[in-house]
Amino acid sequence: MEVIVLGAVTSSVYALLAVGFTLIFGVARIINLAHGAFYAVAGYAAYILINLGGWPVLPAMLAAVLITALFGVAVDRVFVRPLRHSHMAVLMITLAISMAVEQGLTVAFLGEARSLPPLIDGKVSVLGVDVAAQRLLTLLVSVVLIGALWLFIQRSRLGAAILAISQDPEAAEYVGIPAERIFALVMGLSAALAASASVLASPFLSVQPSMGLLPMVKAFCIVIIGGLGSIPGSILAACLLGFTETFVAFHISSTWSEVISVAAVFAMLALRPAGLLGKREAF
Amino acid sequence: MRSIDFGGACLAVAALAALPLLNPGEYLLGVLTLGLIYGIWAAGWDFMSGLTGRANFGYGLFIGLGAYFGGFANTLWRTDPWMGLPIGVGVGVIAALLVGLPTLRLRGPYFALAMLAASVVMERLVLILWRYTGGDEGLNDLDPLVESHVAFYYVALAFLVGSAAILLRLSHSRLGLVLRAIRGDEAACQAAGLDVTFYKIGSLMISAAFGGLGGVLYAHFQLQVSPQLFSMQMAMAIITMAYVGGLGSIYGPVVAAIVLTLATELLRPFGAWRLLVYSILLIIALFLARDGLVAPAWQALRRALSRGRDAAPEPLRQARSPGTSA
Repeated sequence: MEVIVLGAVTSSVYALLAVGFTLIFGVARIINLAHGAFYAVAGYAAYILINLGGWPVLPAMLAAVLITALFGVAVDRVFVRPLRHSHMAVLMITLAISMAVEQGLTVAFLGEARSLPPLIDGKVSVLGVDVAAQRLLTLLVSVVLIGALWLFIQRSRLGAAILAISQDPEAAEYVGIPAERIFALVMGLSAALAASASVLASPFLSVQPSMGLLPMVKAFCIVIIGGLGSIPGSILAACLLGFTETFVAFHISSTWSEVISVAAVFAMLALRPAGLLGKREAF
Repeated sequence: MRSIDFGGACLAVAALAALPLLNPGEYLLGVLTLGLIYGIWAAGWDFMSGLTGRANFGYGLFIGLGAYFGGFANTLWRTDPWMGLPIGVGVGVIAALLVGLPTLRLRGPYFALAMLAASVVMERLVLILWRYTGGDEGLNDLDPLVESHVAFYYVALAFLVGSAAILLRLSHSRLGLVLRAIRGDEAACQAAGLDVTFYKIGSLMISAAFGGLGGVLYAHFQLQVSPQLFSMQMAMAIITMAYVGGLGSIYGPVVAAIVLTLATELLRPFGAWRLLVYSILLIIALFLARDGLVAPAWQALRRALSRGRDAAPEPLRQARSPGTSA
């Protein structure tokens, strides 16, 4: 039972990260290695506002998400846009940004781990298991956010523009969809999703300069397993990985759970490179 | 034209070889030796990623595996440190084959992502298997390759010169030409009947061999091996050197590695600042100097030199230059 509840919480955090990552790939065709940096920026923004600015928890967390979204838009506008013609340059610039953020945070805050206060305290009993309320909240908010994203893409006018660009960027520009603006918007959205994952999960994980790296690597793995560019695939793979990791952590050893993701990626690439729900056109 | 390249290389090597005679002190000599080892890595990275245009974020995987297996051989089985070098090369090549086979037969970003994930997880794995790897502490008490610092400096210099010569030679051979063609248009290469996957995996294996070689040299220089060798920061520093040097030129990254190691060593007391400088340098190089700094500077110097020496007819010089410029 514990495995199911905690596995669902882990899965939801992974899903938030992976969906943002796959979204920006699906639309702008770029691999954003600064995704982990977004995660870290949000954690530190919330930390600064709460501990140094004295803000209450909820507004601080919302502000942190907003700040990170703006940071995402800025990264897209300033750094990615001039280099968009070259895949390798985009990979390099986003990696350089993520390293600069990590090292900048290390310089500013030293390497120590810090913690964020939870939005809600206490424990809730679900299916006979006592779970920290914050974890449950994480699960609920993630489901709501991903649902909202799905509705936004499928139902809104802007969502239709995003879909159009992801299907055929040139044709979309011919009918007057401003591609660069959509790319910036999607980058902001993707950053906001990573930021939400960060502020929700940081109270029970921790805030430190390198906090973004491992979650980002997990997000890569999930996205490859689920199929690059496929949102349902990412959600499915996030659940698979989240539950498997929790199961292994409970029944075998928590240390080995880290290795599963990469093993799964190599198995997937060898057997079915398109991923679980991916289209073959991706490679 | 070729004789100028050769002359420049000889001059640079002679200058590096003469440096210990100036009695620079143990510390500076150690930094220089480190720069030479970074030079091997930067050239090795450049051979695969610079030529084929496939970003490799997990070069630390080959360095770390080479260093750890060299270290195991030395500390557990007490083999001679020199025996570690072929072991490191072998381990690097095998790892490249294992990672390359599933990822490089695909187009798209799979290789970049899988390499990054593999090196990050390998770093974790080293910590998980601390009983064998020493965890955070790493392996200690390795035997030195040669006793004196000056001798080690010359050993590292010899390996760097050898590696750079082999890689330069390969990059101007048919193999290098095919790799450059893959960078230009992979589909066209395939249509021309080239086994693109074979060439890509081959170039990764060559690149990894030098990563492993440098890893073992590093291990027997520092006399210890730590999980940081796998880290992104390590790969990042090497990538920055390659970009500052000029992608695909091999000699550019080597020069950049030595210069940057020396320059950033001044920032060593500040730790994180040093890596911050590398990331900012990379950002600047991407925006302002797409061809790097070292390689274009050398090309300009060479042009100036050859113009002064003999007045070769203009068209002839232009006709030759595409073959030799990277």
